Amino acid sequence: MIDLNRVSKVFDGKRRATALENVELHIPRGEVVSIVGPSGSGKSTLLNLIGGLDRPSSGEIRIEGENLAQLSDDGLTRVRRDKIGFIFQFFNLLPTLNCLENVALPLHLRNWPRKKIEDRANELLDLVQLGHRVEHLPEELSGGERQRVAIARALSVYPPILLADEPTGNLDSRTGEEILRLIQDLHARLGSTVLIVTHDMGVAAQCARTIRLRDGRIEGDNRR
Amino acid sequence: MMLLRLLSWPYLKKHVLRWALTIAGIVLGVAVFVAMHVANRSVHAAFEKTVQKIAGSAQLQVSAGEFGFPEEVLEQVQNVPEVGVAVPVIESTVETGIRTQGSILILGIDMTGDRSLRDYELDSADESIIDDPLVFLAQPDSLLITREFAERNGLALNAKIPLFTVQGEKQFTVRGIMSSTGMAQAFGGNLAIMDIYALQLVLGRGRRFDRIEIKAKDGVRLDECKAAVQRAVGPGFEIDPPSSRGQHFDALMQSYTTATGVSSLFAMVVGMFIIYNSFSIAVTQRRSEIGILRALGATRSQVQRLFLLESVVAGFLGSMLGVLAGMGMAVGVSSYMGDLTEQVVGVAQRLDELAVDPWLIVGALAIGIGTSVVAAWIPARSAARVDPIQALQKGKYQVLSAGENRRRRAGAAVLVVISGVCLFFNNWKPAFYTGYILMILAGLLIAPAVSLLLAKALRPALKKFLPAEGTLAADSLIQSPRRTSATVSALMLSLAMVVGFGGFTNSIYVSMDEWMSTALNPDFFVAHSANLTNRSITFPAEVGQTIESVEGVDQVQLVRDARVIYGGTPIMVVSVETEKLLSKVKRVPLAGNSKEMHALTAAGKGAIISDGFSSMRHVTLGDMLDIPTPSGLLKLPVAGVIRDYSDLQGAVFIDRSVYLKYWNDTTVNVVRVYLRKDADAAEVKRRITDSLSGKYRLLVMTNSEVRAYVLKLMDQWFSMTYNQIAVAILVAVLGIVNTLTVSITDRRRELGVMQAVGGLRNQIRRTVWLEAIGIGIIGLVLGMGLGAVNLYYSLGMIQRDLGGLDLDYIYPVGFMSLMIPTILSAAFIAAVGPAESAVRGSLVEALEYE
Repeated sequence: MIDLNRVSKVFDGKRRATALENVELHIPRGEVVSIVGPSGSGKSTLLNLIGGLDRPSSGEIRIEGENLAQLSDDGLTRVRRDKIGFIFQFFNLLPTLNCLENVALPLHLRNWPRKKIEDRANELLDLVQLGHRVEHLPEELSGGERQRVAIARALSVYPPILLADEPTGNLDSRTGEEILRLIQDLHARLGSTVLIVTHDMGVAAQCARTIRLRDGRIEGDNRR
Repeated sequence: MMLLRLLSWPYLKKHVLRWALTIAGIVLGVAVFVAMHVANRSVHAAFEKTVQKIAGSAQLQVSAGEFGFPEEVLEQVQNVPEVGVAVPVIESTVETGIRTQGSILILGIDMTGDRSLRDYELDSADESIIDDPLVFLAQPDSLLITREFAERNGLALNAKIPLFTVQGEKQFTVRGIMSSTGMAQAFGGNLAIMDIYALQLVLGRGRRFDRIEIKAKDGVRLDECKAAVQRAVGPGFEIDPPSSRGQHFDALMQSYTTATGVSSLFAMVVGMFIIYNSFSIAVTQRRSEIGILRALGATRSQVQRLFLLESVVAGFLGSMLGVLAGMGMAVGVSSYMGDLTEQVVGVAQRLDELAVDPWLIVGALAIGIGTSVVAAWIPARSAARVDPIQALQKGKYQVLSAGENRRRRAGAAVLVVISGVCLFFNNWKPAFYTGYILMILAGLLIAPAVSLLLAKALRPALKKFLPAEGTLAADSLIQSPRRTSATVSALMLSLAMVVGFGGFTNSIYVSMDEWMSTALNPDFFVAHSANLTNRSITFPAEVGQTIESVEGVDQVQLVRDARVIYGGTPIMVVSVETEKLLSKVKRVPLAGNSKEMHALTAAGKGAIISDGFSSMRHVTLGDMLDIPTPSGLLKLPVAGVIRDYSDLQGAVFIDRSVYLKYWNDTTVNVVRVYLRKDADAAEVKRRITDSLSGKYRLLVMTNSEVRAYVLKLMDQWFSMTYNQIAVAILVAVLGIVNTLTVSITDRRRELGVMQAVGGLRNQIRRTVWLEAIGIGIIGLVLGMGLGAVNLYYSLGMIQRDLGGLDLDYIYPVGFMSLMIPTILSAAFIAAVGPAESAVRGSLVEALEYE
């Protein structure tokens, strides 16, 4: 499903910084994996590379057998929109769009028919229990509700892979637990592969597999 | 200063493009201002220099408009005891047969007395001329030319110069070359001296002079001399210092300078909005920096000063570059204006140097910096009011507050009401202009609110067109009124100017067409030159009889027109054969009865005036005119007012019999020729040309040629203003680029999210393009609306102060239809660069951007 072969990422600035070094990783379909490690260990970089938001300096990343390094920018975008759903720590909802429009955005970008988009967006908002908030703007929602909308958006095309970068990092612990339960519930229903980057060992403990990163290398890989 | 170096400089370095665009607004505004003023001043200075150099040591000049006066007047003036020297002068441009030269200014003087006023400083001449002026007189083909003219055209002593006289092309001989000092510097050296009596023949003037130049007797005060001469010649003559010609020149150019002044002011205001926009954006983007500053103890006034100081620096840099660019532009503008003067004063003023007033430069710098500071004032005040707590929070974008919007709407409503009240007192100039300014201000105040409404109205349409891209583009406009409203306002102002100007030109072209179809309806016009504004060469009335005897000719009408000074400024007097004119031209008077008007004029008991003359001089039906003539003041009541475009200063039509009586001049300068219905025009034209051949050098122009000539003159008048409008639109388009550049930065995260969730590069590009087109559409709607108001006031201003023309209100629908694709294309082009920058760069950084 997701294969990383000797993947490195180096940032060339005034000082050269290695974010990831020769990372080897295989994540099979349907697995729920948490990625943990201290700040600067390369967690988010790893997630960005797997999500096709960034390109590795060296090495190979394959998503369902497709080598991301060989894809153009638009090719990468197509992988993102067809295979990957993103959930961000700060939600990254568009403040000018209401809940329905935010969830519908990826579908519009795929040029789906309007009726189908509306049905799907409503269905997903019902799924995250926000069916009664479709017309609300993000600023009118609580943090937890915003993250639910973001999750609904990430799931809009039922992607095989769900990437979550600190999905509970900006929420209180109770809301964080609710969001985690929701992600697990959706995983159970939809069977997506889920990768969660987190600082929170409690969150990591609820995942079937935990990958521990330190200084850009995999320090540990534990399955429960 | 320290804050400026620490905070502003890094920001500036990071946003070089945006600052370049901001400064470009000031550069263009200042450049247009400087170019127009330097060009005006240069042309004026060159004209004054020409007048001064030609005048020599003359202290006063006696004139009676362009018609001139009989030779006998010279004797009357010379007999005045207070007069020391009085010499006659004829001055005219004459076409040369030298292909590369064109026209030359010829000064006809009386060699026997003239040297007591003027020094010819001959550095190469037949000795006999210097020793004995009678030699010059004895040879009527003699010319003195300037060293510069000689060198430019490779002419030496005794060389031949062909000149197109009224009798055809004649050869003249260079008898002397003046050194390049004193008078020879006048008119860029394109000057020749000829014996005045020889020049009378060349120009077909009869025994008339243009003016008499006077030096008062030693010990006599100038005002005493002036009064004595006035008593001797009567009230029909103007007696003024030679420099008064500069004032007449200014009066003739006034409509042009006012028009250019208004449009350069518009360009400056448009530039101001760009600066306002840039600073508003800078404040929004640097809110966290401001928050940190405030948290670290910076006072509100320190923050405000920081932004104002930035605006001073931007204003200074922009003004300096604007001054340089303006000087460059002034060269082209001066050359254009030099040509324009030929239409106005009959002499194409060529410039050898730009007249730059140091105070103009200081003024331009002050205006540039002042504009920048005024424009930055509100953003700087907003910066000072930034709440440090809010500013340090993520995602707190500043938007135009509802309260601010309400205040603006209320302000606009108040201004509209006051402006409406001013309409009731329209006849009072200050009320009219106050109403105009307030209405434009109201438009500017209401623009953000209307922009918002329009953006909201656009959203469903854009969403339907492209659901994701359209919605995001419209939302960007809706959510950031501060970012877009200044650009929209700048675009609105530019377009309002376009509507005002387009409507005015449209109206004037429609009216001109109507006028030409009725007043300029002869089949042929016979004149000395294709340049109908050159009235210095006349020909005898017998020409009319010759033409009338040609087979196929139905009727000829003799016309003699020229400018006279009326109430201190020049007007056009046109003498026509009224009864004949009435039989061919059916004109509906704006005031008066057609039959009565023509009957009174034909009987020499009245005059017909143009609408321009009527409104500028506040003269109407029945009022008495005092027209200066060599025989004294011609008192005629206004018998009627007609719509006429013969001259921008206004025209007075009198009967030819009155002209013959009062001016004692039988010459004509245009013959209007009507053909019989069955006549073959080409054949008749050939016959007329043949009948005049060998006797006179006259051109037979067809009606369509004359119409084309008149339209060409109009185009020439308007071409510079077209350019200024283009500059204003360019500034507004720069504003769109500026706004979009910032929009891309502001929405970096949003566009990143769009890409992260599957937006392709083309979809991102389309979002930015649509936003630009949205700005274009909103600007167009607002501009067309404010333009309708601006057109109303522009026409009022024209009627009141620029030519006095009473033009119909015709909204320039066709012209504005062209502006729609122009502005939308410009908006699209403006969006290409920002759209590309939106799809480049790191997606990860974009997602983390705040």
